[in-house]
Amino acid sequence: MKLFYSFVKELKLASRGFYFYVEIFMAALILAVFLFLVPDNFEKKGTEYIYLDMPSEASDIFLKKILDEDLDGKVENIKIKINKKEKNDLLYTTEDKNIYILKSREDVVYMADKERKVAAVVKMDENYKMSYEYFLQGYESDRYKNLLKIINVESSETLEATMNNQDVRPISTDFKFLSDKENMMPSVLVFNGSLMGLFIIAAYIFLDKQEGVIKAYALTPSPVWIYLMSKVAVIMVTSIISSFIILIPIMGTQPDYILLLVLLITTGFFSSSLGLLIASFYKNIMQAFGAIYAFMILMVLPSIAYFIPSWNPSFIKLIPTYPMLEGFKSVLLGNGDWSYVLTISGGFLVAGMILFLISNMRYKKTLMR
Amino acid sequence: MFKRIWTIFKRDLKVNVKGFISLYILVVPILIAVLINLFSPGINDTTVSLALIKGENNTQVKYLEQFAKIELFENVDQIKERVKKRDTMIGIVRENDKYYIMTEGNEPQGIVDYAKLLNSLYGLDIQMEDTNGKIIEFDRTVPPLKKTLVNTSILFISILSGMLIALNIVEEKVENTLSAINLTPTSRLTFLLGKSLIGVFLSVYGSLALIFITGFETVNILQLLLILLVTSLLSILVGFIQGLTNNDIMTAAGSMKLLFLPLIAGVLAVEMLGDKWQKFFYWNPFYWAYRANDLILSQSGAWVQILKYSGIVLALSGIVYLFIAPRIRKGLE
Repeated sequence: MKLFYSFVKELKLASRGFYFYVEIFMAALILAVFLFLVPDNFEKKGTEYIYLDMPSEASDIFLKKILDEDLDGKVENIKIKINKKEKNDLLYTTEDKNIYILKSREDVVYMADKERKVAAVVKMDENYKMSYEYFLQGYESDRYKNLLKIINVESSETLEATMNNQDVRPISTDFKFLSDKENMMPSVLVFNGSLMGLFIIAAYIFLDKQEGVIKAYALTPSPVWIYLMSKVAVIMVTSIISSFIILIPIMGTQPDYILLLVLLITTGFFSSSLGLLIASFYKNIMQAFGAIYAFMILMVLPSIAYFIPSWNPSFIKLIPTYPMLEGFKSVLLGNGDWSYVLTISGGFLVAGMILFLISNMRYKKTLMR
Repeated sequence: MFKRIWTIFKRDLKVNVKGFISLYILVVPILIAVLINLFSPGINDTTVSLALIKGENNTQVKYLEQFAKIELFENVDQIKERVKKRDTMIGIVRENDKYYIMTEGNEPQGIVDYAKLLNSLYGLDIQMEDTNGKIIEFDRTVPPLKKTLVNTSILFISILSGMLIALNIVEEKVENTLSAINLTPTSRLTFLLGKSLIGVFLSVYGSLALIFITGFETVNILQLLLILLVTSLLSILVGFIQGLTNNDIMTAAGSMKLLFLPLIAGVLAVEMLGDKWQKFFYWNPFYWAYRANDLILSQSGAWVQILKYSGIVLALSGIVYLFIAPRIRKGLE
């Protein structure tokens, strides 16, 4: 009960301060950006620049094949600026690629070298044998280079037919997918809620220290943990409100909101406790700043891995934001993966409690100084 | 006036060194740089991860290892368990005389196609010796993502300096030193400018440390300094206004968060959005700073372009200044 009163008091105090409204404003701003500025899906078409080094009869056949795949069945005449000169070239737009056909080998080399585009020369010798030259920047992986070396050995028809014959067996088929826009939400949630919680709670504690609130608190019969917990609760409420402001208009009814609430509370609790612990080692915010910042950078790393599926080193999974991102994604998908979300929520709750206990012990000793 | 600003800066530096803050702040850019160095080699690998059965078909394992990351398992059940995990892993499993591709069902189509392609190449028995492709390289070793990370970190550090300035000013306010300054011949503006210098110092030092450690030391340092200076100007301005208008650290910290939004928007716009979306971000100084840094880091920036971009950032900062100048004046009173 004491905790509840203390929490209500903190909440009232917070609602009188600026900070609370800054959070709400920030959430509204993020919402506006996502609603009006971010497209549902990003264009992921690859772009290739090709020069056909072959007799015109052969290149006609080659171009005809590309034209068959062109979305509107028409080739576009376009102008490309190459080495400061405008050149007339051809553009074919297929489902997954924009293919530019250039007029000379030099143009292709220029595009690859100076503009850093994907570029190749397709050659045919007098025996009608095809060969390919790929221009790479140099940082591509050996695996990729190996693939390029043999990908065009067989004719594209044979390869395509073999690929279509592959027997693909998904373990489950009732997966839901997020659009590109929706897929960005988990990192917004982690950043806006959990990561900032780390920072804000520290600021909160130092503010009270400076204003002498803590010394005044020492004179009351309430234990320190109630004071700390009510601070944590205010941060959690703010982060829940701002997360819901962003999520409801964007995601509609798809997410499991109950699970979301559970995950928001547990991750918020974990990161605020971590913030408390970090703050307990310092006298003021300026000193704590560097340490908090270093933690935040570490916690941002899984976000990078999240957006690049092929980069997923195992140590990334040890950083707490990794399961946070996966958990939020699961919740947003609404795929009913209760066990996973509850497991990680439990993990964050336990870890948060341990951190909170340690912080409590430290604050008991140091808060009054 | 300049001498006083300098004195305040020196005093700040001394105080901060004693308070360990600079130790952290000096370490953070190095930490970021080391992390970037550690991660970037793996980042560039565009391939799939495949799960196969150990000892069942060594030729196949050897073949696929040339193109994909391979993990080996004792039996089909283990592969199934692995495929079901949250990252993307695709199984290739034998049934009678044929191989089938085991997916979890939620992989991006591109990744499934990649696995299909590799299995087809193996099925068609196309060997490396059969190659009809020649690879010509330009010997660039810095992957684009490393550049993106370094660039984003530079902007991050500039916001960090803005935050530092804001917190610095708020602290002085809370401790009432700002009122004490009124009794000295130093004006409040001089005092605040002195306080801001440490932010600029941090931004320049941090960015230089970052590019030297991550191996970008051959870039045009003068161009970089120019961009750093104009971006720091923006951060100072924002730090300044945050520091002056906010009376407590909480609000200052909360509102500095707002700065991260245009930063992330700028980076995402350049890296992920098509040409037609770019114009929506022209208002964003971080967008321009990011583009300018990108040119500098890839060493393809002509001075004309860099000057143009820094001019735009400067102009945008000027507009921000016009808006907040009355509040700064009020805050100084």
